[in-house]
Amino acid sequence: MKSMMTRRRFLHGVGAGTALVTMPQFLAACGGKGGAAATTPAAAPANPFLDWFGIDEAMLRRVMAELTSRGATHADAYFQHSRTNTLRMEDGLISQATSSIDQGVGLRVVVGDQIGYAFTEDLTEEAMLAAARTAAAIAAGGALAPPEAFAYRPETTGFYQIAVPWADVGIDQKLPRLRLAEAQARGGDSSIKKVSVSWVDSDERVLVVNRHGRIVTDQRPMARLYVNVTAERGGVTQSNGADLAGRRGFDWLTDAQLREVADRAVARTLVLFDARRPPAGELPVILAAGASGILLHEAIGHGLEADFNRKGTSIYASMLGQQIAPEFVTIVDDATVAHERGALNVDDEGNDTERTVLVDRGVLRSYLHDQISAEHYKVATTGSGRRQSFRFAPLPRMRCTYMENGPHTRDELIAAVKGTGIIAETFTNGQVQIGAGDYTFYIKNGWLVEDGKVTAPIKDVNIIGNGPESLRRITMAANDSQLDIGGWTCGKDGQGVPVSQGLPTVLVSSMTVGGENA
Amino acid sequence: MRDELMKIVGVAIEAATKAGASDAAAGAYRSRSVAFQVRNGKLEQVNDSTSRALSMRLFVDGRYSEHTTTDLRAERVTAFVTEAVKMTRALQADPHRRLADPARYPTALPALDLADATVQRLDREQRLAWAMRMNERVAGKPQVISSTSSVSDGHTVVAGATTNGLSASYETTSIGLSTDATLEDGDKRPEDWMGAWGHHVADLPDPDGIADEALRLARARLGTTKGPTKRTAMVVDRRAAGSIVARLLGPASGGAVQQERSFWRGKLDQALVSPKLTIVDDPLVPRGLGSRPFDGEGMASARLPLIDGGALRNLYLDTYYASKLGLTPTTGQGSNRIVTLGTKGRDALLKDAGTGIYVTSWLGGNMDPTTGDFSLGVRGHLFDKGALGAPVGEMNVTGNIVDLFARLAAVGNDPWLYSGTVAPTLVFDGVQFSGA
Repeated sequence: MKSMMTRRRFLHGVGAGTALVTMPQFLAACGGKGGAAATTPAAAPANPFLDWFGIDEAMLRRVMAELTSRGATHADAYFQHSRTNTLRMEDGLISQATSSIDQGVGLRVVVGDQIGYAFTEDLTEEAMLAAARTAAAIAAGGALAPPEAFAYRPETTGFYQIAVPWADVGIDQKLPRLRLAEAQARGGDSSIKKVSVSWVDSDERVLVVNRHGRIVTDQRPMARLYVNVTAERGGVTQSNGADLAGRRGFDWLTDAQLREVADRAVARTLVLFDARRPPAGELPVILAAGASGILLHEAIGHGLEADFNRKGTSIYASMLGQQIAPEFVTIVDDATVAHERGALNVDDEGNDTERTVLVDRGVLRSYLHDQISAEHYKVATTGSGRRQSFRFAPLPRMRCTYMENGPHTRDELIAAVKGTGIIAETFTNGQVQIGAGDYTFYIKNGWLVEDGKVTAPIKDVNIIGNGPESLRRITMAANDSQLDIGGWTCGKDGQGVPVSQGLPTVLVSSMTVGGENA
Repeated sequence: MRDELMKIVGVAIEAATKAGASDAAAGAYRSRSVAFQVRNGKLEQVNDSTSRALSMRLFVDGRYSEHTTTDLRAERVTAFVTEAVKMTRALQADPHRRLADPARYPTALPALDLADATVQRLDREQRLAWAMRMNERVAGKPQVISSTSSVSDGHTVVAGATTNGLSASYETTSIGLSTDATLEDGDKRPEDWMGAWGHHVADLPDPDGIADEALRLARARLGTTKGPTKRTAMVVDRRAAGSIVARLLGPASGGAVQQERSFWRGKLDQALVSPKLTIVDDPLVPRGLGSRPFDGEGMASARLPLIDGGALRNLYLDTYYASKLGLTPTTGQGSNRIVTLGTKGRDALLKDAGTGIYVTSWLGGNMDPTTGDFSLGVRGHLFDKGALGAPVGEMNVTGNIVDLFARLAAVGNDPWLYSGTVAPTLVFDGVQFSGA
């Protein structure tokens, strides 16, 4: 039934992690890449990733031969092993602890723009050959020769190396961290009745091999902490939360970090007691620096994923080279920002990643490409081929999407609002219709601005706009660009991938604000 | 296959007990899924895979944890479970964690008719023929830039066992057909889609009808403009109705109430919303999309009245949160949520409502589960004197979900069957829209 959900492209920031895991300790074998450290050339050790998946080059050759037995433009195998642990503390107790291991291989055959795909969690040669045969059925040509030799991509980037793998961090080490965050939030105000703390850590290992014998490996850590607070004042109950996320290790969760996220959750909750709805209709909107990058994700990011443009279904399909925003607007999708959720050493097709300038001083410069769209447009891939897991074929996806600094200051933006406007500060989710260009995002916390002054807190407002129109209506951008610290997951065609986003403070002259009139 | 899965859960339970677990529950599934996708008359993608996984719930010295793995080799399962038991010992004891009461386990499984042999016999030619047939009716038509048609089907076997007496398995099949269309419309490219799915091939509408409806819906979007900012009647299309009903029911869970993040807290049996609203959760509907013989804890399926005459009668309660709240468990998982029907169809309801906005789909938005405050993106059509008019989009509706359902003026007689929440056309009075 997954394919029934293909209409949905969305982004969400809150909610529990989906994967779950602790693995027996052969993790220690996976410290290096490429087997380059062999001291005895006569007996070079196998690549540790091959050991990890219990495969060898001869087996890979046979699988690739089967995969390309009816021809292919591209063919690849994506091996993945991920382990995830989650913990949730409620009422001062760990109410839920989970571990999960998800391991398998996805096999893909591409013929032009046609894709045959199969996966198996069973990494025996027999199961892999059967899946390869299934994927190959899309093609109808002659067999290609399997790779004669395999070449390992040298390690050139390290955007998310961590000191201690998460698999080596025991629950006994994590519990005091959760308790600290819990106590900090609970002590935040006498009105606080409930505090829950959710924790997710994961390690992922991937190995991508293509039909030319290129082997690429990557290790991807991820951590996320979420604090939720419920408070009651005068018979009214309010709840809200805050989170921290990144491709980070245990040492990142310092006392100061934990206290900050707990304090943030408390502040976001307490402000709701005084918050109201802004008026309904078209208003100027100031997007606060950081999480407001959700604007870029929905208003333009999805529309620049090249599969939609190749198929002609994106509103941006004919705008390359055109001025689509004021000159002070430069928008980037960047895989190279260290330790961010959207950071990637290599993409899920095994290609090198990069910093891709999407909009350069207002001019639309590039789409986000995977191999299929890069071939279609006869350009180099931007390293944007991503997938949720080995169960899915890759698609062009965003990584860290942000806007660079503008020429103004935040105070100037606020002063520029005549009449009534709002500041959008925290968000829960967004969505877009690629063809119509209509997009939304949901403001959890924000502020009312009246005649250039911030006057009152607001809450629970959906914003809807049209992507190209909103870009044209960016009238000011401040010099305070930052990435959001929260854990965003982007959904497309039923696949969720971690992303990051950022923005300087930006003023959009008019958007449709889901408020209420008296 | 069922025997093989029962064997795996047996190995897991035995390993857990041997490693020192006082109680354990294990569940396993094996699933074959196939999807064919045709775009603009050409086969674009075929996915075909068989998947499996084992999940465990472990109770060790009053401590509790949950585990999942896809590596089902017997020796790996044993090692995994042994490690998991060890991990559980590092946790704190939680007095509310226990297996479900064995008296709640099914004695015999109800006949729900969830597996269709026709689905299991589908071949490549049949799947491709359906997808091509749907696609031919849309792709290449005037203004159509792109159309994708999908046929997806699956066969899943589920097995479960616990140390206190559950040992059962069942199988289901699923089949779904869908088609979308993106049209040329000046500098915009409006899109829409239609899809239907069920357990049985025979329960699906004709593929031609699905394709024709997708094209009709997309064409209805041509010339969309932003509607007005005003408070007016909202008529919700039956395909969009399930989603707003699901938002109302979302916080009706033990976890949300116990954690005090639910507007339903303390409101059981109070008439909060319109007396016209009655909703039952019924997992025993033959061939129902959400039907199941037992839930994730193994508790036998039973009909659960949720809202009756505008009052909440029950919460979704698993064993854990029921214990924390001092209540009797119902089930922690929703199944088929069925809205009791009214007497009139859509056109009659539009006529009764007179003037307002007909919402065909939602776009983004959210709701605060603690207060019920919501704001949602919408698109649809204006209607006047009961007649549907121009398409509108780029609008929001905003309010409080309890207040919204208190303003429920009428319930239609036209349920949308291809959804877990089976709802008809719904009419609400005095809803705040924001637009131009």
